Amino acid sequence: MRLLVLTIIIIVINNGNILSQSSFGFNGYEGLSPNFNTPLYSYESNTSNYSHLEDWGLSLIYGVEFSEVTNSNIYSISLAKTLNRHNLSARYTPGYQKEFIFNTGEAIIIEDTSAQSLTASFTYKELFGLGYSYNFSEQFNVGTSFRFFTQDFNQEIVTPVFEDTLFLIIETQNEKINFWKADIGVNYIVNEYLNFSVASINLLNFGEKAENSDFEQFEIKRELSAMIGLSVMPLNSLAFNFIYETTNSYQLSVNGYRDELGLGLTLFHDKYQSPTIAGMIPTISYKGENFELFLSGVKYFSDRKKEFGVSGFLENGITNIINNEYSFDKILLTVSFNINTIGKKTVEFIDVQVVKDIYPTFADNYIDYPFAYAVIVNLTDEYVTVKPMARIEGVNEENIQSPISSIAPFDTVKVPFYIIVPESYLSNKTILSYADFYLFTLGNQPDDQFQKAVLINSINSWDGRVSNLLYFIKKDLEFSINYSKGVLSDNKTLLDTLHNDLVEFYKAKILFEEFIKHLTYISDPRATGEYVQFPDQTIELKGGDCDDLSVCYSSLLESVGIQTALVDYKSNGDLRHVNVLFNTKLIPEQARIITNNDTKYFVRESIDGKDEVWLPVEVTSLTNFETAWNLGSEKFNKEAINDLGIAKGKVAIIDIY
Amino acid sequence: MKKIIMFLLFAGSVSAQNFTVEKVSGDVKYQNGNSENWSVLQEGSRVNDNAIIITADNSFVELEGNNVQFKLNESSAVSVSNIKKMNIDDLLLALAMEDMMNAPKDIKKSSDNTAVYGTEEGQDNPLLIKTDDFGIKRLNGAIQLAQNDLQESAVIAARETYRKYPETKAISSYRIYFADILYKKGLYEEALDEYLDIQKLDLTESQQSDVVLKTESIQMKMLGE
Repeated sequence: MRLLVLTIIIIVINNGNILSQSSFGFNGYEGLSPNFNTPLYSYESNTSNYSHLEDWGLSLIYGVEFSEVTNSNIYSISLAKTLNRHNLSARYTPGYQKEFIFNTGEAIIIEDTSAQSLTASFTYKELFGLGYSYNFSEQFNVGTSFRFFTQDFNQEIVTPVFEDTLFLIIETQNEKINFWKADIGVNYIVNEYLNFSVASINLLNFGEKAENSDFEQFEIKRELSAMIGLSVMPLNSLAFNFIYETTNSYQLSVNGYRDELGLGLTLFHDKYQSPTIAGMIPTISYKGENFELFLSGVKYFSDRKKEFGVSGFLENGITNIINNEYSFDKILLTVSFNINTIGKKTVEFIDVQVVKDIYPTFADNYIDYPFAYAVIVNLTDEYVTVKPMARIEGVNEENIQSPISSIAPFDTVKVPFYIIVPESYLSNKTILSYADFYLFTLGNQPDDQFQKAVLINSINSWDGRVSNLLYFIKKDLEFSINYSKGVLSDNKTLLDTLHNDLVEFYKAKILFEEFIKHLTYISDPRATGEYVQFPDQTIELKGGDCDDLSVCYSSLLESVGIQTALVDYKSNGDLRHVNVLFNTKLIPEQARIITNNDTKYFVRESIDGKDEVWLPVEVTSLTNFETAWNLGSEKFNKEAINDLGIAKGKVAIIDIY
Repeated sequence: MKKIIMFLLFAGSVSAQNFTVEKVSGDVKYQNGNSENWSVLQEGSRVNDNAIIITADNSFVELEGNNVQFKLNESSAVSVSNIKKMNIDDLLLALAMEDMMNAPKDIKKSSDNTAVYGTEEGQDNPLLIKTDDFGIKRLNGAIQLAQNDLQESAVIAARETYRKYPETKAISSYRIYFADILYKKGLYEEALDEYLDIQKLDLTESQQSDVVLKTESIQMKMLGE
């Protein structure tokens, strides 16, 4: 604590002029300080609370003041946090204070005839402050700061006491007055070479007023004014800064940067101090990976150790708690820490494109094929390994990792995102949800995230691709197994008497005959969307359209080990049809056992290179197996074989397994 | 939006090949569509492209339709749908289609497939029926397609016969006949495959030398390219 004793006998209180803090700061003025964050903890010159912090920041100023007695003090402790575009800060300033002690000019004669002078003391303190800013864009920042001041006035007075005789006693008048002041500031960064700042000084003040008229005039004056800052960087390593206060004070500074080092010199003019350039603040700074060091000095160009007359104080007062006519030279060390718990952002999204709506039944499809692609950029000059992850709300409880990508320095790449649809997802409603996309590099926090809407269809939804019907065939195979086993058990006698080579053919025939007994062909009732029933639904509902019936029959055959394929007839443009092929396991030489007509079967080579007889079945023919087989072969012969439909892509055979 | 509708299964094809039976001699029968039975073919009747015609020994039939006149000689069988002019491109498509018909080679077995493919072993001996000469009649019919200037259709008919009647693949004379058509059509890769396969059969000396000569010729041509 600095103590200034004015050895003035008489005090006439009439012209105190103390302004609450303006732009002067202990680390000089560096504008928006592109290379360091430390100067930005100063609410004095950075009213808008502008910050470069990515996460947490902590700063401490410790200094030595060279008054008659050298004093050391912690001047301030600041804490700041950046949350996305928001920055919050708080500052405790135990060293921001100034105390004046006066002789009041009055004295009383005590019993030993000696005189005792009466004194008064005024203490001004800025105790703490709060800051907030919002970064609208890389160019535009708006913020505010609130600061709390306290003023402690003490004055000894003589009070007569009338008893048997007249006594004079010394009493102390005391009053403590607190107030807040709030200011706002705006920063506009035109480009990397030029930026502006504008801020208010004493925009809003609220708090107590002095009740004692003797103290009223010594309260900190809160004259409304403003400051305008300008920074120019003609070179990346050199900056010129200028800040002007409408009270006619200003600061000029030049800062040089090289690698981790910084050098600066600030000259300040104070209307209430002399000479014109009242002093300078040289700084030398160093930036480590997570910390900054600032060594700065405040050197006044006028003699600070002389005795001051009270008249000067009475005429001019003081203009600033930490920088006034009675302030002393200082050396200060500032240590700032940049604590990054979220990690340095090394990659970021440019865009994400969802290329597939989600059809929950096609679960395997999303493991093999991406549902979205993202364009991402490496922000660093090193190779970065990126772990992309995604999660769809309502589908996934955890993030699903996609393949890791390595990205060259500053390169932009397209990365795929895969998803897993759990088997437990059984919603029969189509919903519009959203997917969260993440990019992880190191640590548990993502470098970047992105959100995009995703349509999640019901489990019965189908995208119209016949190849995807296999998912409906495979899902809930348990039902088909039970159904087929039940039907075949009822025909055990017949099956047991058959030659083994004919079992597959007769199983397929028996299952068809039983399956179609109670079924009706029903066209898809949904005019706009494709809807496919699972086998159990088709049996339960006793009907379906060609895809429902084909899915059901194929599933029943597959469940008893009979290979099937779907035949996709797409020769009529939008009007498509699907039916079923199944493998009798007969070799071509055995085909004559089941038919005398060699146009009713087709030979397909198996994976093992074995030729096997396959039969087409028109499942929508809900009459009997022979008719369904005839119709199936007739259509297959014409469209797939004679018209070369398979070769021309108008007919496709989609094997289920 | 794609709609799946029930195909009108009984609708006739607008491009159906209808032939008129100009002349019938001896025992000539036909099998219509999906029928399991054979019917006697009468002069003046009409047959469409889903029919198969078969002639017995010392029999023949003459057909006319779609600007094609076709005579099917004795001991032959032909699908009416094969009696049509095709070009090389169609032939190549048809040959490519043979592979496309097969089960995919990169088939991926799904782990959740509980189905077990294959038949139980050790229960029965393979069930075979006595082969007749229908496959050979099919090949005879294919040769007559070629002789009626329908070489492309002839090759397609022969290839289909080989798939459905594998025993006919061992008859080297037929194989060489159809391989020669591919050779003459300039389909060297397809012809080479055939000649290399034919060399595995029991060949006469003249067949052997002929096949080897043509194989080397194709290889030279392909190297020259």
